[in-house]
Amino acid sequence: MSLSIPTNKLIVLLGPNGAGKSTLLNLITDNLKIKFHIENTFKNIFYLPQNPYYPIGITTFEYLSSVFFKNTWKWFLTTDEKLKIIEVLEKIELLDKKDIKIENLSGGEIQKANIGLGLLSGADLFLLDEPASNMDLINQVKILKMLKNLTSQGVSSVIIMHDVNLAIKYADEFIGVTTAHKLIQKNVKEFFNKETLKQVFDIEFEILEENDNFYVQIID
Amino acid sequence: MTNKKGLAFIILLTGFILSLFLCLFYKLDVENSQIILSYIRIPVVLKAIISGSCLALAGMFLQTISKNPLADPYLTGLSSGAGLGIVISILFFNSQNYSLFGFFGALVASFIVIALSGFSKFSITKLILIGLSLNLFAGSIISFLILKNPEKSYPMTLILTGGFSSADYFDKILISLFIIAIFMCVLVFPKLNALRLDTRLIFKSQENANKYNVLFILIAAFLTSISVYSAGILGFIGIICPLLSKLIFGLDARVLFFANLLLGSTLVLFSSFLASNILYPVQIPLGVVIAIVGAPFFVFFLFKKGGILNN
Repeated sequence: MSLSIPTNKLIVLLGPNGAGKSTLLNLITDNLKIKFHIENTFKNIFYLPQNPYYPIGITTFEYLSSVFFKNTWKWFLTTDEKLKIIEVLEKIELLDKKDIKIENLSGGEIQKANIGLGLLSGADLFLLDEPASNMDLINQVKILKMLKNLTSQGVSSVIIMHDVNLAIKYADEFIGVTTAHKLIQKNVKEFFNKETLKQVFDIEFEILEENDNFYVQIID
Repeated sequence: MTNKKGLAFIILLTGFILSLFLCLFYKLDVENSQIILSYIRIPVVLKAIISGSCLALAGMFLQTISKNPLADPYLTGLSSGAGLGIVISILFFNSQNYSLFGFFGALVASFIVIALSGFSKFSITKLILIGLSLNLFAGSIISFLILKNPEKSYPMTLILTGGFSSADYFDKILISLFIIAIFMCVLVFPKLNALRLDTRLIFKSQENANKYNVLFILIAAFLTSISVYSAGILGFIGIICPLLSKLIFGLDARVLFFANLLLGSTLVLFSSFLASNILYPVQIPLGVVIAIVGAPFFVFFLFKKGGILNN
């Protein structure tokens, strides 16, 4: 099996539980060492697991600044780094909350801060394991919009998602993982036909098409 | 840093200086002041500072990487390794320099535990469980040796509770080890700021994270061994200092470095002052005083601020 990840695209991983979506992300991060060919030209990968741990008692600014301490021996942030944090805070719309403790942010805002960590780490490929689960529709849309915007700035994303209809709206490409652990990589139009969806989810779907927009519904 | 934290820092610094002066000059005999100072009090003060700050810093490392407020510098089987070293030196070598044996015992024990936890497939849980087993194993050997040699059991128990023996002359090795350890801490301490995040977020793979974890645990073991060398096995400091400093000063490792240095040494200094003066001329073992002073103090702070329990 092999997989190639295109640059500057938002890719959504779809598939039933236990099909191996998270395993696939781990393969991309080199955490699992199995012979598997992944074609990518990315230098730096940022992986955001499901429900990450966050420390209690630091501000959003400090939370984001943590990234810069990993590889240096120095004790203080440079002005450049501070400016970069402010810039990223602006991008993720948290600038007004930079002095608020991270535990007082909402779930959606914490997830935005986590994406900010990825931006600061200089990664050009984001792997996000259900970044929008446990969130209301508006926050899910906000996160996806943000990731979509980032693709034009040179950051590609591979996202695990379960809401198919939401995924169609933002994704450029889909990777379906079947229960038989097969990968089906196609763009939106090719992915959303009855055969492919049946192959991935093992359920009959009805596909509605309206002015080039797709909607998916389950047939009982 | 906010004003409140600045004030706390000043209070801490004052406490440190106050206990330093108490330890050095309280009831100082005018006639022999020179001799008492340079042969008894200054060595004791230095040992108190070294042991307190080393334990606090070691606890800080372990609590940050394990993300568990219960992590303790003796986690890696250190305490009983040190204890075994001390008991063996007294029984079989009849050595005055038992603290050096304690130092090597602690180092050997922690290396065994870290090596058994595996460098590449390392996990904190594994480390804790192996450390626990070694602690039990060596602990029972210590009890057996003490029971077999009743004539030396009292001095051995006294040494194992921790404290600075006045007979032990002051050591240049100790100071150089301490300076090396502090230098290492200064180099790596800011990195703890990155480790307060979820480890999966900052390290591309678990292997890279483990490299850091092993490095920090090795430094922590080295720090703890130094504290064993200078003061025997002092419980409690390594748990409460990091927790207290986090409660008061927040989670910035750079601030916490100084906070732990000061807090650890202040607690040990003050306790050693109490140990030698509260029932004068009877000396209470230092470890006992630390637990008696520290425990209520700690519980008070837990209830006052809260929050640490769900961290």
